[in-house]
Order: sequence, then structure tokens, then C-alpha cells
Amino acid sequence: MCVNLLSSALRSLSLLGSRTGPSQIVNRSVGPAVDGRGSLTVWRDFITSASQQQNRTQWKQREKYTIRPIGMKKTGGRDYTGKVIRHGIGGGHKQRYRMIDFQRLRYELGKEDQPIVEKVVEVRYDPCRSADIALVAGGSRKRWIIATENMESGDVIKTSGTIGRIAVLANEGDSHPLGALPVGTLVNNLELYPGKGAQYIRAAGTCGVLLRKVNGTAIVQLPSKHQIQVLETCVATVGRVSNVDHNKRIIGKAGRNRWLGIRPSSGLWKRKGGWAGRKIRPLPPMKSFINLPSVAAKS
Amino acid sequence: MFNATVQSIRISTPKITQTCKSKDCLNALNINAHGYRCLSTSSCLHGKVVPRKKPRVVHEIAGLEPITYADRIHYVPGLAKPTFPEWDRGWKEPRYYKSPKLEDMPLHKDKPCYIFNQRTNVLEGVRQALWLSKSVLIKGLPAQILNLAQDPVNQIENQDDRVQNAIKNSRLWDTTEHRPPRERFCPSLVHSLLHLCDSLQGTHPKLAKRILADKYSLAATWRRGEDMFQVRGQNGLLLNSMTPVPVVAGDELIQSTADQALETFYPISPTIDLQCTHVYQEKDDTGFRADYPFPHAHTLFLMEMGNTPKLYPEQLRAKMLMFAFGNALARAQALYGKDPGILEKPIVVQSVATNGRLFQFVVFQLNTTDLQSDSGVKNLAWVDEDQPLYEFAKVRPLIKKKVVQVPAGLSGYEPNTFKKFLAFYLHGAA
Repeated sequence: MCVNLLSSALRSLSLLGSRTGPSQIVNRSVGPAVDGRGSLTVWRDFITSASQQQNRTQWKQREKYTIRPIGMKKTGGRDYTGKVIRHGIGGGHKQRYRMIDFQRLRYELGKEDQPIVEKVVEVRYDPCRSADIALVAGGSRKRWIIATENMESGDVIKTSGTIGRIAVLANEGDSHPLGALPVGTLVNNLELYPGKGAQYIRAAGTCGVLLRKVNGTAIVQLPSKHQIQVLETCVATVGRVSNVDHNKRIIGKAGRNRWLGIRPSSGLWKRKGGWAGRKIRPLPPMKSFINLPSVAAKS
Repeated sequence: MFNATVQSIRISTPKITQTCKSKDCLNALNINAHGYRCLSTSSCLHGKVVPRKKPRVVHEIAGLEPITYADRIHYVPGLAKPTFPEWDRGWKEPRYYKSPKLEDMPLHKDKPCYIFNQRTNVLEGVRQALWLSKSVLIKGLPAQILNLAQDPVNQIENQDDRVQNAIKNSRLWDTTEHRPPRERFCPSLVHSLLHLCDSLQGTHPKLAKRILADKYSLAATWRRGEDMFQVRGQNGLLLNSMTPVPVVAGDELIQSTADQALETFYPISPTIDLQCTHVYQEKDDTGFRADYPFPHAHTLFLMEMGNTPKLYPEQLRAKMLMFAFGNALARAQALYGKDPGILEKPIVVQSVATNGRLFQFVVFQLNTTDLQSDSGVKNLAWVDEDQPLYEFAKVRPLIKKKVVQVPAGLSGYEPNTFKKFLAFYLHGAA
């Protein structure tokens, strides 16, 4: 009976599909063992390589730094294959991306030895992050940085890479290596590896505390109260990140979240599990970001 | 056609699934519409993401030559991909022209040059322009021009009516829309005002020896400290004259500039926002031939034509200053050669810029071409900022809370601004 049905299905194929010979011949030759898959390979020049990219990211492939805002393409929570990897994202106001220079200690060409002095031209809102950003100009270049709490246009901020014997008296907005700062300083825009650019403590209103300096390393308490150990040559900015009242803003209505590109949650009722409620647990052990060369490599 | 076959399969599926309810069959029928990847269903359906491929790194080993499939003329697995020299078509094809690298260009130089062109938007505004041109700022206009403006001999008859008509012509009567675009009314206003000024030719015959030039291209090169600077390119509408503009500042004022210090803006370098390039030509050119009968640049008019970026007034004044300076410098270098030194007869160039309502006036006097050092005699710049010609020109009144805030038509006309404009035009002819 099975064979009968299949043959009837194939007959309908050969009647309706007036596609030229080869595909049908293949179907017949395979005979009863064929499943639907084989019968549908009518595309002659099939592509066996990886699927084509769905979510283009050409707008962010850029090497030269610019302060001009770049038009962004919305991803809708999809990755490069077009698959949803983050649900609940989509729509919202059009946004433009401003390239932030997270590596504060980026010297201008030919001025590697003296500290960088810059003037704040403008402090403004950035749609791509919760903190405000500041346009700073120094020498013959301009760049965007993350603004600190009390930064205003006209301020002069300094960045230096030297670690002196005495701890520096740093103003807010200045950038120094952790080794040069006094213990207990509030820092933000923390580098994990020297020269890699700031990766931690960049959200609005956050700050870390420099707890202690041990033996060429520095231990910093993150806003989550976790402690991390980094090299003392890692650069951090002094002070607290701007837009302190970010957590106090009132969204007010569902539509405002849609403006921000956040879609409503599914609405399906789920029993609360272990993720809900307060948990009391010890802090994880201190995480170290120091890749000291091993003993074998030294000897 | 393909869809038709899929449809027919769909029709016959219930029969198949009744008998063999295996998952393979169902999966196979969920074909994506594009028709790609028919050998198996797409990776997306299986929840498997194909990892992004890294470009393969081919190591070159010295002394070893990779065996390629070049002589086979087809791909052979296991053999290296041949690299061929770039094909030279043997003739010049403009569509496929590839420019040489910057380093290989004949004009490439090791020393960079900072170029100020008409699209430059300098951060520090007038301060930066003063530093670049080594000049001293004087607020307001020089006394000669103010006297010209106040002199009743130099007035056009029915002056205010005719100026207001010119404004209305460009703002209200030009279009059937509510408001013509700025790119339209700004040049038309300047041209009609210039036409009004020209009507004084009867009383001032010297005005006949003027000519307007649009789209001329300027080039002036100078050194300031260590760096080299240029003012380059097209800029605006230039009024040329047969006779030079009379010198504005006397000798005492020129000598007294030697004591004044130039303002600096420390963390920011004066070269910020200028175009830095290594490929350039050291050129000094007024934009006109040497035997041009109207060699003297008189006034430069800058307007918002839509072909240059919109500038804030501060940056616009810097642009006026730089181009007035560039015109003067190019003229000085054409007259006295390229050797820097104090000019016996200073060169004066005026500049007027407008956005269709606000007028900016600049008078620049080039005293010296020795710009290398910060000391010594400096140049002079008079700047008169933000002079409105009128307040509002509206087709329909602005009504808020049933009260007319701004009446329809032209309001807030300022006669003094046009007097200054006229004085700039008459300077050197009256």
C-alpha cells in the first residue's frame, strides 16, 4: 500500500511538474526507496556552501576612526545567519552610532612621551548606551569618550601613562594607570589588559573602587561587588560615569519601551522557579586578569 | 513551477503521513522558499549554526615554491591556488582606472600640508583663523567705512523702500510656496542688493570699473612655525576692481600690532579640523590670469548656496577671514614675489557673508607676509558680527493664542545694515 501511495504521489509530480527530464528520471531510478527529499532536488545549480549571510554588518566594518555618527542597521535580535538569538528586540527609533574611543591612552602620532591634555567640547546623549558621551579635542584630533558625572564643556582633562613613586592627585575625568592612583579612588572605564581599551564599568552612574595594590597588580571592586585583579598598568578614568539618574527614569508606558527597541515579553504564564526571589550566596572568588608568563617560559 | 510541484506534494502528503509517520518526511517537506540547499534541509532547521569561517592563512615558506594547479587550468584538491600577476590591459581605461598609492604619487611629499578649503569647519572659530593668518582682531568696522556709511551723499534715493522691496522680492514674491528655500533666497537677496548698489554708478563713476567673478579658484601657500598651510579652492562670489582698495590702517596702528600677542588655545592645536595631506602642490594663484584687467580683489561675498556645509556664525566668520587672507596673500605673492617681508603697501580685502538675514562683515589688511614667527608686525582684521537686515519676513502671520506675534510681510527692517553693505561696496570708489 505504501508503494502504491508513493507512486501515486510521484505520478502527480510528473503530471503537474513539466520540468524537463533529468529530475523525473532520477526519481524513477531511485524507485521506492526515495523519500520526499530526493524528489525535490529540482534546483540544478544548488549551492552546497554555507548559507548566505542574512544580517549584514557592513556598517560596522570600518577601520579609520571618525567622530561622525554612522547610520546603524537594526538587527532585530538576529545573528549573521538570520536566526533569532535574542528575542524581544525589534523596532524602535532610528539610531546612529558614534565611535567611542575606549582606549583613553591613545597617543597622537609623534607625541608618545608627553601626557595627553584634552578639552571637552560637548557632552551629549548617546542612543547606543546608557551613559552620556563627551566630544573631546586635543592636539589636532577629536574623539568621543564616555563622560563622567560632572563633566562639562570647557573642562580640561588629562591622560597620562606614567606611574610615579607618589600617588597622583587626580581630578574627575582624568585617566591614569591604576598603579598611579591612591587606594580608595572611585574609577570607571577600566581596562582588563593594558592597551586593550576599557571593558568594565561603562554603564551610566556606575563606579568601581580601587581596593589595594599588590606587587604590580591592582584589585578593583566592581559595581556588582565582585573583585577583580588586573595589572597596575591598566588605565582607568577617575570618578563616576555620567547620567547618574538613569535608574530613576520612568518608562511610563509600554510604548516607550517600543521606542527603545524592546518588544513586550511573551505573556505566557510561567511558574516562578529558582530564578525568582532573593538569593544569599557568598561572593565568587576574586577573578584575575593577569596572564603572567609561566615558569617554563621564563626558564 | 517549483511552487506548483511543492503544492502538489503538499496535497498528497496526508496520504503519505498516514502510512509512514517518520520525521524525515516532514522535515523534507519544510523546504525554504529560496530553493537553496536542497541536499539537506537548512542548518537553521536543525538548530545548528554554521560557524563563521575564518579566512585561511597561507604561510609562505622561504625557498619553497607551492605547487599550484595553474598548468592544469582547473581546480585540483590539494594543490595551491595560483596567483597570477595583475592583468594589464595595455591601454588606458577610465572606468577601471586605479590610482597609484599615495606614496607613489608624483606630488607626494614627506612634510604634511594643512589645507583650509570651503568645506572646513574650524573648531575654534575666529581665534583659530587669527592664529593661522597671524592677525590681530579689532571689533567693529574701521572709521573710513563707518563714515562712508553715514555720509548722505552716498545714499540711493528711496533707499529704504528699494531695499525692502529687494528683501520682499527674494523672500515673499519669489515663489508661490510659503517660503523659498534658503539656497534660493540667500543668493537672490545678495544679487539684488548688489544691483541696488550698482545703481550709484551715475554719481560714482569709479563703480564702473568693477566686475563680479563666481567660481574662481584660489591657492595661497604659507608657512607658520614648522607647518605649511594652504587656502585652496573655490569659495564665493568675488568683486574685483581695477584699482586697489585704499589702506585702512595707518602706520602707527600697524607698528603697534608688533607688541600685541597672539591668542593661543593650548590643549587644542591650531591645525585641528584642517585637511592634512601629504599629496599637495605648493601653488600660489589668485585664480585669474596675470593680464586680467581687474586684478584687485575687492570684496568676497559668501552665501548659503547649499553646496557647502552650513556653518555656525563663529565658524563662518573664520571662513571669511581665512579666504580674505588667502586672496590678499595670493595677490601679495603675485606682486612682490614669494620672499616673506613687511609689505610697503598693505593689501586690503573685504568680505561679507550672509545667511539671508544676518550679515557678517570682515575687513582684512595684510601688512606682512612674514608669517613664520609669532613676533613682529601682524596683520589686522576688523570683524562686525551678526547684523540683522530684518527680523521677520513671513507670508502668513505667526499667531499664538489668538494673538498675532509676528505680522505678515516684512518686519523689523534695520537700515544701518544696508548702509554698511553699501559702504563696503563704495569703499575705494567714493
